[in-house]
Amino acid sequence: MSGFREGRLATLKAKIAALEAGGRADSESMPLGDPRLDGAFLNGGLPLGQWHEFAGEGLEAETAAAPAAFAALLASPLARRGEAVWILRRDDLFAPGLAGLGFPAERLIQVCARDEAEALAVAEDALATVGVSAVFAEVEAVDLTAGRRLQLACEKRGATGFVIRRRPYGGGPSKALTGSAAATRWRIAAAPSAPPPDEFGLGAPRWTAWLDRCRGGRPAAWLMEASGAYSDGEEDGTYPLRLVAELGDRELAPARPLRLAG
Amino acid sequence: MRVVCAVDAAGRRAGLFVGQKATDAAALCPGLVTAEAEPEADAAALVELADWCVRFSPAVALDPPDGLFLDVTGVAHLWGSEAELAEDLRARLARNGLPFRIAIADTAAAAWAVAHQGAETIGVVPPGEAAAALARLRPSALRLSPDAAAQIERLGLRRLDQVLALPRAPLARRFGAETLMRIDQALGRAQEALSFRRPANPWFARLAFAEPISALEDLQRVSFDVAAKLCERLEREGQGARRFDLAFHRLDGKAHPLRIGLALAARDPARIAKLFAPKLETVDPGFGIEVVTLAAEGVEPVTGRQVRLDALLDGGLEDGLAPLVDRLANRLGEDRVWRAVPVESHIPEQSARAARPLDPAPEAADWPTDIPRPLRLFRRPEPLEAVVALTPDDPPRQFEWRKRLRRVRHAEGPERIGDEWWRKEIGEVRTDAVRDYYRVEDQEGQRFWVYREGLYAPGETPRWFLHGLFG
Repeated sequence: MSGFREGRLATLKAKIAALEAGGRADSESMPLGDPRLDGAFLNGGLPLGQWHEFAGEGLEAETAAAPAAFAALLASPLARRGEAVWILRRDDLFAPGLAGLGFPAERLIQVCARDEAEALAVAEDALATVGVSAVFAEVEAVDLTAGRRLQLACEKRGATGFVIRRRPYGGGPSKALTGSAAATRWRIAAAPSAPPPDEFGLGAPRWTAWLDRCRGGRPAAWLMEASGAYSDGEEDGTYPLRLVAELGDRELAPARPLRLAG
Repeated sequence: MRVVCAVDAAGRRAGLFVGQKATDAAALCPGLVTAEAEPEADAAALVELADWCVRFSPAVALDPPDGLFLDVTGVAHLWGSEAELAEDLRARLARNGLPFRIAIADTAAAAWAVAHQGAETIGVVPPGEAAAALARLRPSALRLSPDAAAQIERLGLRRLDQVLALPRAPLARRFGAETLMRIDQALGRAQEALSFRRPANPWFARLAFAEPISALEDLQRVSFDVAAKLCERLEREGQGARRFDLAFHRLDGKAHPLRIGLALAARDPARIAKLFAPKLETVDPGFGIEVVTLAAEGVEPVTGRQVRLDALLDGGLEDGLAPLVDRLANRLGEDRVWRAVPVESHIPEQSARAARPLDPAPEAADWPTDIPRPLRLFRRPEPLEAVVALTPDDPPRQFEWRKRLRRVRHAEGPERIGDEWWRKEIGEVRTDAVRDYYRVEDQEGQRFWVYREGLYAPGETPRWFLHGLFG
């Protein structure tokens, strides 16, 4: 009986996924190299041909260094497969730093947009371009219409979008999100690294990643570590991010101050 | 002493001449109206006129104070003949009220001579007849130095054919090598270097309309037509271009230039017209546009390139990376689309350079990946407050950045980055211009790239800066 139910459930899920992918049943995905990670997604990996949203908290909402580093690592196998475009509002992205993380930065095309609307338009244009596999866009917020447009652009050629939410310097409080068409929504914060006990210095960079929303999957919270950062050798075949620990439910959705909620 | 710089026709009839003392001139014509000479304004007007003349030929050289050289080689057929070209130029100059003399000849020097001393206002010297045309002019028509010209005339040589008949060696000895050179230039035996306002561009197409156009759709159509015309030639010769300059010449003589750049040399008229399309709205057609010109720059062979692109991409070139870069560069500006390429420098700000997105990779080695570098590098390092370090050479234990106190849990460093002495004169190298960089991690796990400026000096508070974030 339960076998029958699970079978029905799987068929239904596949149907829904097909509907959501605009009629294309073959939504590709990119495994992250750990069953505990891949299990959170619908198709056993980060869905491709869709767009994902990464945000930081506190000061990171303005500098967006941790979300950018995390998104770049997540996408680095994709960026190796095709061209990558990074759309900025402030040109403070430092390519040697990206290269150090293991991202193919020397081929990355950077575009500095003048305003939010232009950044989104460029992202859309880049996503719909043949040969481009990953598009990073640093924008303040993606509303429902812009999100749908991004999604349509992704589906055109199967490119994957990585939206890094970033408030312009000196801007007001970040805009509230009114729903989103993103396939997954992440919150990223830098986490203390764990250097080997008798060694001097910092360990490999770590992040706490909250997968707040995942279409067709389930939310999760993970402590992750860059596996090939700042090393001389070429990491080949390994996955750029390693799961250190699954975080308990209590770390999901931290309580927000009441005055913000009102 | 005030002298006469220019005289109009009426003045000349009254006996005035250039170089005359102003007082003499005033004595000769009591009611003389004078205006101050403005050489700068004249020069500016000449430059403007030169730019206007681009409608006749892309190669226009200034001949101050009052002349222009137009290289009309291979251009005259657009008007039918050289005489018709000269007639068109005459009509337009006359309509604008500009006094003029025009000559077309085999060489610039011969044209200059005929223009300045010929009998007619317009002189078109047929090919190969420069010597005949020069024969009856005075020797000064050769742009000789005033001394040489005066001396030649003093010797009774009043016509050029007399000078040309002289043996060359005595001519050079007596009147200087310059005289010989001018003669050779006039007869085409020696090259004359003209500095054109724009280098002569053989990749040039032009469309003239029987009726002036002004509608946006027409502009779109003709920008495609003129691109097709030029691209056909590019295609025939296996070339492509990286920049296209489109100019709409209006009835009132003003030109409206537009420019697009391409990341890879190309010659697809549809693509070029598409890139121009959004810019056409900025064109003010005025009373109408009668001529459109398109010039291609950065022309290079393209066959190899396009094969590579085709192999790289599965779709048509229309949707590939190169058109994307072109669209973005032309919409946002060329400096807003780039690819960071490595530069072999230890100074972090200089270790990456913005390059055109699709240029081949430079020679410099890739960035070293074993030395941590931040993901965000601040253009202006931000000063840190309340830095506590145990000893001058220690990493900070805590610091305040953007009003928040950070306690350092782990630190790495120092990495000392100093002046690149091998790039400078030894006297300019400063040993104290060093930065000691530390990679530090605070209690929350945020990783920062901080540095202390300068060497330790007793009694001085070291200055600390945040240069980047690792994320």
